[in-house]
Amino acid sequence: MSHEPGHGTPAVDLSADNLTNRQILEAGLRRDDIEIVHYESPFPVPGTKAERRIERLVAFLFFLAGAGAIAFVAVYIWGPFNPDEYTFGSGGEDWYTPALGFCLALALFGIGMGVLVYGRKLLPHEIAIQDRHDGASSDDDRKIAAGTLGFIGEELGIQRRPLIKATLGLGGLGLGLAAAAVPIGMMIKDPHPTAEHPEDPYFETGFNPRFNDGKPVRLVREDYTPIRPEDVSIGGQMTAFPGIPGGTTNEFADSPILLIHLRDNDAQTLRSNLKNYSKNALTNPSDPNSGSMWNNFVVYSKICTHAGCPASLYEQQTNRLLCPCHQSQFLITDNARPIFGPATRRLPMLPIDVDGEGYFVAKGDFGVAIGPAFWERPTQ
Amino acid sequence: MKRRKFDVKALPAATANAVDERFKAAGPIRGLLNKVFPDHWSFLLGEIALFSFIILLLTGTFLTLFFDPSMTEVIYNGAYAPLRGQAMSHAYATSLDISFAVRGGLIVRQMHHWAALLFLAAIVVHMFRIFFTGAFRKPRELNWIIGLLLFWLGFLEGFAGYSLPDDALSGTGLRIATGIMLSIPIIGTWVTTSLFGGEFPGHVILDRLYIAHVLLVPGILLALITVHVGLVFVQKHTQWPGPGRTNSNVVGERMFPRYAIKQGGFFMLVFAVVAFLGGLFQINPIWLFGPYRAAVVSAGSQPDWYVMFLDGSTRLMPAWELRFSLFGHGYTLPAIFWPTVVLPGILTVLPLIYPFIEARKNRDTSRHNLLNRPRDVPQRTALGMMAVSFYVVLLVSGGNDIIADKFHISLNAMTWAGRIAILVVPPLAYYITHRIALGLQQHDREVLAHGVETGIIKRLPNGAFVEIHQPLAPVDEHGHPAHLDYVGWTVPRKMNRLGALGPAIRGFFRPIERPAPPPPPPALPAKERDKIDA
Amino acid sequence: MSRRPSADVDPEGMTMTTESGGKTAARLRRLVSVAPRKRGKATRRLSAALRMLAALVFAGGLYMAVAPASSAADNPPLSRQAEDGKALFDQNCISCHGSNAQGVDGRGPSLIGVGSASVEFQVTTGRMPAARQEAQVPRKRPFWGGEELDNNAKALGQYIQELGGGPQLPAGTDFASQGDIARGGELFRINCASCHAFSAGGGALSSGKYAPSLKEATDREMYAAMLTGPQNMPVFGDNQLTPQQKTDIIAYVQGMKSDQDPGGWGLGRFGPVTEGLAIFLVGIVALVFATLWIAGKS
Repeated sequence: MSHEPGHGTPAVDLSADNLTNRQILEAGLRRDDIEIVHYESPFPVPGTKAERRIERLVAFLFFLAGAGAIAFVAVYIWGPFNPDEYTFGSGGEDWYTPALGFCLALALFGIGMGVLVYGRKLLPHEIAIQDRHDGASSDDDRKIAAGTLGFIGEELGIQRRPLIKATLGLGGLGLGLAAAAVPIGMMIKDPHPTAEHPEDPYFETGFNPRFNDGKPVRLVREDYTPIRPEDVSIGGQMTAFPGIPGGTTNEFADSPILLIHLRDNDAQTLRSNLKNYSKNALTNPSDPNSGSMWNNFVVYSKICTHAGCPASLYEQQTNRLLCPCHQSQFLITDNARPIFGPATRRLPMLPIDVDGEGYFVAKGDFGVAIGPAFWERPTQ
Repeated sequence: MKRRKFDVKALPAATANAVDERFKAAGPIRGLLNKVFPDHWSFLLGEIALFSFIILLLTGTFLTLFFDPSMTEVIYNGAYAPLRGQAMSHAYATSLDISFAVRGGLIVRQMHHWAALLFLAAIVVHMFRIFFTGAFRKPRELNWIIGLLLFWLGFLEGFAGYSLPDDALSGTGLRIATGIMLSIPIIGTWVTTSLFGGEFPGHVILDRLYIAHVLLVPGILLALITVHVGLVFVQKHTQWPGPGRTNSNVVGERMFPRYAIKQGGFFMLVFAVVAFLGGLFQINPIWLFGPYRAAVVSAGSQPDWYVMFLDGSTRLMPAWELRFSLFGHGYTLPAIFWPTVVLPGILTVLPLIYPFIEARKNRDTSRHNLLNRPRDVPQRTALGMMAVSFYVVLLVSGGNDIIADKFHISLNAMTWAGRIAILVVPPLAYYITHRIALGLQQHDREVLAHGVETGIIKRLPNGAFVEIHQPLAPVDEHGHPAHLDYVGWTVPRKMNRLGALGPAIRGFFRPIERPAPPPPPPALPAKERDKIDA
Repeated sequence: MSRRPSADVDPEGMTMTTESGGKTAARLRRLVSVAPRKRGKATRRLSAALRMLAALVFAGGLYMAVAPASSAADNPPLSRQAEDGKALFDQNCISCHGSNAQGVDGRGPSLIGVGSASVEFQVTTGRMPAARQEAQVPRKRPFWGGEELDNNAKALGQYIQELGGGPQLPAGTDFASQGDIARGGELFRINCASCHAFSAGGGALSSGKYAPSLKEATDREMYAAMLTGPQNMPVFGDNQLTPQQKTDIIAYVQGMKSDQDPGGWGLGRFGPVTEGLAIFLVGIVALVFATLWIAGKS
């Protein structure tokens, strides 16, 4: 086999008359250093049975494509689709999209396969060899390029003019800074409370009395109805929100809480465990409501301390709370201690009480950062 | 005046003349038409990604006509009755409209999503091919790096798209992304607050993700894909070693007509598969997830598959958080920082510099246009399988709650299994792959030395049984075959399949050995058509 | 039907300790007449009866002295249905839940106060009688079939209800048609989806426990589950989710279950995990086969 492709291709005199296309092609191949070393028509005898069979197959595939495309248009126009109403069990409408997909896939499949069968079966097979000519440029070319660049450098003469060089560098730097400063400056926002915006997004939730004219914030359901103790059965839990304007919307994405009504013995366990946590412990040992709990009710932040998903899979018998995103598990009866998974910190407990009208209120804000940890979070 | 007759037949030639007079295109076009491409099934994997990208551009453009990323809260009163009267963002409402009120909107949305999954799946599979065959070596290091960037850009693009409909699943994903950004030391809160324009979720994030999703990232993707494919043209494709295939030539077929026809047909097939999936397999049923609310989550909340390995690493990470005090203020380095920021960093840098590490280790400065068979570079293959197994353990762990639930395994046991597997499986994969590669290589050498097994057992006069081997090389007067060097070619395993250029099996499921072709009828002027046979 | 040989255990008299005076005689008659038939020996029959009598007198006296006066005095006679339920209970449930449903330590909890809703849920879903102790009692084929199941579950429920009260189910089997699907969807997502998943297909909980799929759940079973909080499921009492809201949720779940996916095959509605599996098993596999065919020598 030739290792100098193209050289095996016979030379063709392009000025000659009556050249076939094949001969002209070969002249071009020679210029591109290509040699066709194997060229075989799949059907040397035209019009054989086998060839006609392939032709019929290709024709059938193209026909299939057309039929699929027409069916697609027909389904698209007359298929059962109601743009005004979709109810559960809409019946016929459920096959609208599958029918569209099937027809479209059929049309594309027909075209694709038809083209492929045509190319694979009817066109001549060849093995062509082309020279790569890769690698570095010739020594001359490299020398010329280097010399040219060198001469351009001399023409510019920036090396000889240190003042211009220095000031240009300065100017370029300044422009670069300016270019970076605009987009960064447009977007940058101070995460910490400042004089202009006193809210502290990482330490404050909707339970801060600030949002309720300094009065304790009520716990409400998603429809803003306040919650009485008897609304949550023993062994039950309820997702609650701060009872302030917008409190149940995503404006207060850190605020959702889980209100849990523990069984008596579980509540006892939790209360006895709380004494280790000064923030939530009973201040008056004889008053079960003097800590963060209220009777057998306890409220934890619903926002996982790991990545911020709502940790809301409450197991009422084992008293575990599971986060469905990364499977952190918190033990409710031990101040929501993380007992499994990647979470490292307890879910913060919200101190609660019942107000004069018998509704749950928050005694104050959590007092710690809610949700995922961050660099400047204090190591409480 | 004589009216000039309009000659249709001369039109192509006239046009070609006109074009060439202006652009001097005849030479370059000839070069393009004649360019030789090698043909192998594994060279078409990257094309799947390229074609998916084109489908993504087509379907995505359609979707932009109906989608509005606004986070303004609206009360839905559209076609999907089970959500009527619900408060939701405008973005989610328009996503529902695309699915239920726009004729054909659902199939386009689903095709867009499936094409995105296919895009990244094809990139990963293509990347494995490049790695295991050594196609990243000099002079193609830059294209390897571009390919890696394309994966991460596709990853970003996919995540942005996943977040746009503002359903409960995408909102949960964004929330976790916030947690990840917050974990970055020193600048975490600044980056998060700046990107979200305040506290999560704020009002601007979808607008920003939208412009990133439809303009910024696709623009960069398009530019890099152009360079990626352009470099393949300029540097010419690699090829498998074999008879007649050298480091300085390309053996294949000319780009036109047959190669280009195959590419066009393959594009249609990829499109057909995406249409099939988009119509018959439901993906991302946002109407079941509901609008995003900070308090709402669903069991089995996962990202799309290409992000799932990060979810897996996060799930397996033990609860290790660094807390320390400096100058009277406490600081925290959260557990989530390691698996979601540091790990992707490592996963980017290591493959990025791998071509250079390998070249340095082997003191290899030469150019490589011939591919390696994986067995011929056991160490690289083993390292690659180590990385793949690492990735697969993370990927499986990303769905471990679904696996635990559907196969009745304890969730905690799944997590522990993943934690142990991530340490044990990769070294095991290295060892096993290394042994298999060496074994395959050894077998090839044996075939070269002794020939192909014929399956014919002969009993010697002394009673011993031996199998007759068909030598691959001519034999000397003693019947010993001439010595053949091991050069990394495919070695025949069966009788009558000698060399890669020999007659190959026909049919994929049902190999039919074709008998030798009959001689062409003498009456035909065969010379004209077939004379270039070597 | 009496697959569980509870009568063999009972004659020792230990489970009779809490029997109140009025019912003791009836219970005794039944036991005395049942136990011997099983043993079939006159002597054992006599001795068993005597031992039983002695134990009962002793235990009954002890109980009368210890038990709160109210429960003994207020226990009205059981209704006819509850009597049937009691008979079923004594045959099938007593070995774990103890006589009079007081519970047996380490085997089964007390059923006092769980209400008929809980009993009906556990029995009709086949969870009770449980096969063995495990992380969670799974749904399985119910102990009885068809109408018998319905009647027996109601009878058992009535018995437990009359023993200790507790939540009861409203009448009827079709709640879904009276609910507001949109409202139910919102409540489902905030209260139920976190464990049962957006598709009501279930999800994993800690250490082998799980929230079951609601695929086979009937209206009554869902209502009962919300009302009573079986196993690790939290209780959603009528003050938290009103009966109308429960009906809404049931309407949403049943509607969603009955709805054929508009976008094709729903892949089990598991979310991105099966979608990722599909892109490799369908998309990549099909296209790799295509590449093999395209690049193969023809």
